[in-house]
Amino acid sequence: MMRWRTGFREAVIMALCASVLGFVYTGITRKGVFAAEFSQGPAASRPGEQSSIIHVDEAKELYESGRALFIDARHPFEFALGHIRDAVNIPLGEFEKRQGQIDSLPRDKVLVTYCDGVQCNSSIGLAVRLREAGFQSVRIFFAGWNEWQARGLPVTKTGK
Amino acid sequence: MTRILSNEYNLLTARVFLGVLLVVISIDKIADPASFARSIGDYRILTGTPAMILATVLPWMELLCGLALASGILIRGSSLLVGSLLVVFTLAVVSALLRDLDISCGCFTQDPSADRIGWLKIGENVALLALAAWLFFSENHRFSLDEYIRSRPPGS
Repeated sequence: MMRWRTGFREAVIMALCASVLGFVYTGITRKGVFAAEFSQGPAASRPGEQSSIIHVDEAKELYESGRALFIDARHPFEFALGHIRDAVNIPLGEFEKRQGQIDSLPRDKVLVTYCDGVQCNSSIGLAVRLREAGFQSVRIFFAGWNEWQARGLPVTKTGK
Repeated sequence: MTRILSNEYNLLTARVFLGVLLVVISIDKIADPASFARSIGDYRILTGTPAMILATVLPWMELLCGLALASGILIRGSSLLVGSLLVVFTLAVVSALLRDLDISCGCFTQDPSADRIGWLKIGENVALLALAAWLFFSENHRFSLDEYIRSRPPGS
């Protein structure tokens, strides 16, 4: 019984210390919950960002009109497994490395960013970076790949 | 068997192995909590802010437990916390497998092409859980800071 009591007390102390360290570290380094693209989120984004979130019907309409280029913000491996047909892959974490690809993006089309779905924020992060890079017409398809697939809309799957 | 389990050198090896492993796997996650939150989100259990909060705290638990186990301080609490985390991780992997999710574990690396979940992953977790339980129930942690502090004469 004593063993469990000591263990439980020590475990609680460690968990509390870990929580404090985790939040202090991410607060100082502006990562995780304190990262700009996360804290701005889909619900409380920068002016203009909220209105640029589009739903699946609008995404479908843009896709079918040919006026949009879809940009997949996920990891290349996930992109290789499957993506919206004709989409290009610019993982948010590789934005700087992909400068050449970004410069060649069409300026006369609507850029639609997406990632997995509501559980990810990289579509928002990528949209912010593209706007900063001078692209005026950027939309965020926040429901993303999961919703697109669920609707049976055109995809490219290259296997595992 | 009892002699092997209570051997102080075996305990030291197990403690340092588990401790170093935890420190190593925590570093990637601490460096990139957003990727780790995405790995958590892949399990379709927690998403958004709760996943990000977990991704903020969990790697630090692994780091602190790892350092504590390797140095031999708060061994009981660290092994209990690690054991509890392993139980939760294992349940999450089982639940993902039952739902046919083909996802990366997010345990050792944040690269989604590596470390895919499977029944082998559950075996790994159970082995680590057994190690944590062994450390929790053992008394003979001779080469540890806990023991060093306890054995110092009062007032020294």
